[in-house]
Amino acid sequence: MWQEYSIGLLLVFIAAVVAFFALVVEKDDLHRLLLLDLVEVPSLGIIALLGTDLAEALILPGLVVGIAELLALSQIYVTKEGLREKAVRGLNIEVIQADAPLIISVLLICYGIVLSGFTGGGVAGLGVVFYFMARGHREHFELLEMASGISWAIWIFAFFVFMFIPEYWLLALFMAAIGILMKVIVKMSLVGTMWGDGNG
Amino acid sequence: MDSLGGTPYYILEFGDELVYFSPYTVSLFLLALVFTLFAVIAKPERQVDIAFGGDAYYAKETSLQELKFRRFMAIACGFASMGAMVTGDVFNFTLFISLVGICNVGIVAAVKNRHVQNAAYQYGIVALAATVPLFGAAATIAATTGTLSMVELWSNATPAVPPVVKALLVLGVMGEGMAPFYAAKAEMFRAPGAPYVIMCSLSSLLIFLRVIEVVLVI
Repeated sequence: MWQEYSIGLLLVFIAAVVAFFALVVEKDDLHRLLLLDLVEVPSLGIIALLGTDLAEALILPGLVVGIAELLALSQIYVTKEGLREKAVRGLNIEVIQADAPLIISVLLICYGIVLSGFTGGGVAGLGVVFYFMARGHREHFELLEMASGISWAIWIFAFFVFMFIPEYWLLALFMAAIGILMKVIVKMSLVGTMWGDGNG
Repeated sequence: MDSLGGTPYYILEFGDELVYFSPYTVSLFLLALVFTLFAVIAKPERQVDIAFGGDAYYAKETSLQELKFRRFMAIACGFASMGAMVTGDVFNFTLFISLVGICNVGIVAAVKNRHVQNAAYQYGIVALAATVPLFGAAATIAATTGTLSMVELWSNATPAVPPVVKALLVLGVMGEGMAPFYAAKAEMFRAPGAPYVIMCSLSSLLIFLRVIEVVLVI
């Protein structure tokens, strides 16, 4: 096991060195931003190499921090370069303008709900993102934010149940699973609708 | 159980995560708290430009929206530093450190000035790149010792943390704590960022002080 871990670690470090080298050589600001995304991957790789439940619990905050910094940096890039917002009206592709996005999204959402938990949230969120991106909707932010807040509260409440009344762990498990499912769906769909909108 | 920062007064445990209050961490925590309160009550400074060739000057106003954003970032940075000071979990420590990094990017970037934005962007790149050694070090500590709790790490019951990993941790903290360098580069200390920019310097100082303790005890 240790040998495999060492080989994995070596590979990740080589990847990190390559990515950092590219970052040093690249001079264009936008390309640097894209390369940074690549640099993030080895750091998640090192955590994933742990290969335990703990790794799963640690990847999530690591990923969130990385995405938050990336979003902040892209915002700074947009302000710094004085880029204007462009109206986005969905993708201009014939298949997407028909009913295909609706069917694919519904399938993804159903499958996500069956999976439940974080993975399910990711799958269902992908479905919603795809729908919004294909159709270019931009409304109901308050509703989405409210759903996000309520699911977060459910999630936290479930953790309190785990801590203080562990007898009801099954209930807490379901609540946490539903909470995180909703939370991830909503967060991902917000990402899908956020483009081009300043205050998303 | 003696640690470098004195015997802990109190160790607060949430399952396997813990927070501990030793004389050292408490003093750093109080420092962060006091400066956060300063950020809450402080009013932004007005930059004054003297007009050449005349007996006139302009005072630049900070808009309410910008003030709110900068104050929020400074307070968030204060909270993140407070968390980094007292946490007893290596991974939480690295998370708080990267949170300090993000907030510092926000503080530096809040000023609408091209030079400042450029400096903030460059700092953001460094801070984001620094999460690699930072999280890498935390994950490797968990892999080599099997725990992330600092209390267990200093109890000698676990294998020693390799010096390379400690070096990675310090490297990561250095990258996240680079903010004052970039703020100085953008000349923010003179007026555009005051007084919130002080939070950059303070949080960097605090995380450097804390990482020394962490590296020496684990």
